[in-house]
Amino acid sequence: MKKKIQNIIENYGLPRIIIFLFLVFLFILTPFVGIRFDTSINDVIVRFSMNGILVLSLIPMVKTGCGLNFGLQLGIIAGILGAVISIEMEMIGFTGFFTAIGIAIFFAVIFGFLYGLLLNKVKGDEMVVATYVGFSSVSFMSIMWLMLPFKSPNMIWAYGGSGLRTTINTKGYWFHVLTDFLQIKIGNYIFFPTGTILFFALLTFLVWAFFKTKIGTAMIVVGSNTDYANSCGINVDKMRSISVILSTVIAAIGIIVYQESFGFIQLYMAPLFMAFPAVAALLLGGATVGKASIKNVIIGVFLFQSILTMTPSVVSNIIKSDMSETIRIILSNGMIVYALTRITRVRT
Amino acid sequence: MRKRIIIRTALVAALILIGIFLYAIGKEHKVVIDNRDISVGDIIYSASTTYVVWVDNQEIGVIKKGERNAAIAIGISHKIVVEEIKSNVLTGEKHEKRFRLKTNESATINIPAMINNANEWIDKTNDN
Amino acid sequence: MRKQSLTKTMNPGVLFLINYAVPIIFIILIAFAIPLSGLSGIYFIRELMIRLSRNSFLILALLIPVMAGMGMNFSIVLGAMAGEIGLIFITDWQIIGISGMLLAILISTPIAVLLGYFAGIVLNRAKGREMVTGFMLAFFMNGIYQLFVLFGMGNIIPISNSSILLPRGYGIRNTINLLGIRQVLDKLIPLKIGDILIPVATFLVIATLCVFITWFRKTKLGQDMRTVGQDNEVARLSGINVESTRVLSIVISTVLACYGQILFLQNIGTMNTYQSHEQVGVFAIAALLVGGASVTKANIPNVFIGVILFHTMFVVAPRTGKALMGQAQLGEYFRVFVSYGVIAFSLALYAWRKRVEKENERKKIMNYRKSILAK
Repeated sequence: MKKKIQNIIENYGLPRIIIFLFLVFLFILTPFVGIRFDTSINDVIVRFSMNGILVLSLIPMVKTGCGLNFGLQLGIIAGILGAVISIEMEMIGFTGFFTAIGIAIFFAVIFGFLYGLLLNKVKGDEMVVATYVGFSSVSFMSIMWLMLPFKSPNMIWAYGGSGLRTTINTKGYWFHVLTDFLQIKIGNYIFFPTGTILFFALLTFLVWAFFKTKIGTAMIVVGSNTDYANSCGINVDKMRSISVILSTVIAAIGIIVYQESFGFIQLYMAPLFMAFPAVAALLLGGATVGKASIKNVIIGVFLFQSILTMTPSVVSNIIKSDMSETIRIILSNGMIVYALTRITRVRT
Repeated sequence: MRKRIIIRTALVAALILIGIFLYAIGKEHKVVIDNRDISVGDIIYSASTTYVVWVDNQEIGVIKKGERNAAIAIGISHKIVVEEIKSNVLTGEKHEKRFRLKTNESATINIPAMINNANEWIDKTNDN
Repeated sequence: MRKQSLTKTMNPGVLFLINYAVPIIFIILIAFAIPLSGLSGIYFIRELMIRLSRNSFLILALLIPVMAGMGMNFSIVLGAMAGEIGLIFITDWQIIGISGMLLAILISTPIAVLLGYFAGIVLNRAKGREMVTGFMLAFFMNGIYQLFVLFGMGNIIPISNSSILLPRGYGIRNTINLLGIRQVLDKLIPLKIGDILIPVATFLVIATLCVFITWFRKTKLGQDMRTVGQDNEVARLSGINVESTRVLSIVISTVLACYGQILFLQNIGTMNTYQSHEQVGVFAIAALLVGGASVTKANIPNVFIGVILFHTMFVVAPRTGKALMGQAQLGEYFRVFVSYGVIAFSLALYAWRKRVEKENERKKIMNYRKSILAK
């Protein structure tokens, strides 16, 4: 019996199990602290659908051995560009949504390509360089948001200031186009965001299918052993570039879905730290610096978002204070530190 | 091995002592200074004139009859000097007293009582 | 040995440019920005002096981990947090003057040692990824710090001075007035030239630290660290305990950072309980890199040149932004962009050079093998 438990702990990692048990504990507590069970479930499902794609975007780069994409912000910026340009063009509904995605993909490919070039030059140190490239780009874009010539009155500062506002409302444009699409209402409090979940499932399927193709498998080979990949005649650099572009594109789509569900486009310094919760979620789902699968994404996002949703409400009711921010910091960053200290096998 | 433990404990003890020392000489104390009538037992000392007050060589200000002022005193031993002032001119009538404050104490000083060298010129309270 | 392979293939002029790319770019940037900002010379000198006295100690704390091969130590933030906890306590106890500052140092040192030890152990388990891990660790500890200061203090940890507590009764306020120890070290030995107050005592302390670091390099421990920094295996074979040397370098760095933060805050006079330490790591490291240091090589001149260049940019950016674009806010973002950009650029440059050197080494070995086979 003890051996079995030890096995489980080794396989899944102690922190992960602790978090899972904690989560179960929280769910059990909900009725006792005066929170409706079904609203909690609804919150979890909605947040899952909001964040899923962003975490999914990390997969291509991990699989190809480029490490955890701490430079996620580049994809996010591409997405934001798509979103604001779509609003500038006064597109609404699904047209607006897909225009945003289209424009975002355009920018994401460019950014991803340049980013990929950089990462190829710094093999082995991708993560730390990516972090700072991500930060610099968010700061740089902050300057751009102030200077770019946008005109739409819903987006620029009132009283004739120049530059975009810090948060832009998507209501009236494409707010909840996906979420309300085919929405299923269960009981009084559960609004199942069918549209968003379907979209997430679609992208997940595409990613899964992609890795079964020739290019996809080549990328996986590059990820596990670059020398072997070289000897098979695979162009390692090109595969890595493709993975970076893919990751950036998916991230761009991901942030648009997030904005669609959340209702706001957040500019300036807001995306600065957005890479960390995504990475933490992926790691929580069982991934490591060198290995990640779709299963990790689903488990990870579910666990991470559940903790983020449940802990504040339950804890606040017990301790009567808002610990959610602090807990979020400890949890997401702690997970990343934990993952970074796992010893991985040496790669060339 | 033994010697090492002794030296280390001695060092830690020394640091703690230094800490306590610093605490004592750096602690702020609030000192309230009254220029009011005060009754001690049967005797009443009345405030008559205006005084300029210095605590620890820092000028606190002018306290008229019936007024009070406050000063911050740092550390353990202190000195208060009051000098009578009439029509904005210092008369030269000085009175000086020294007092000590333990770490958690704050004090209230009454000028009339102080001038008359009554024992109750200073009232110390423990803040805790 | 390794440097030769790269130097042989490049002429010294190009090599100099690459090695000192960051400071050179910076000097050019500043040369443009200063006239645009419209600030006077006196203002500059005074600002620079203040900033030198305020920030140098913290940046000097970064030197030792570089020596030991740990790269840029982002976990100096932990030391800063330890210092802040010490300051919270002396403010609570209302200890002022130099005794207050010394007491804060006394209290926070054990905390800094503990945190540094923890950081060192974590970093040891992430060999090869010290910088990312250090960075994430700093964020993580920030959460723990919040737990401690925002929820624990006033609750489990007794705080008697209610003026520093939040209205709800526990948790420390966002800003704490450090009036009691404000500029207490700066003004200890007063020297005034015209209008400008020169913080003699602070500079003396900084000078002492520089002397200490120089001396430390020559001690056995210092030499051990340098060996560990150059090559772990060689160090291990010479009988040096690599792991504990690395941990020790982080502990020393954390303690120095703790003192550096106390020095920093005593100059400013107010403590932003939850924000003061956040940017400490980034700005200190950016300044060091701007001064010409690299991930594997950093010395004392780098620190001072870095402070001067980096902080000049800091002072100049908002005004220049306003002059160029009519918005000072632009300058703010520009500052942040430059700080992060400098680090990104330096790290990328360093990583690229590392790879190029590795490749050259490989090629050399290949050629050598070929030449042997050919015989």
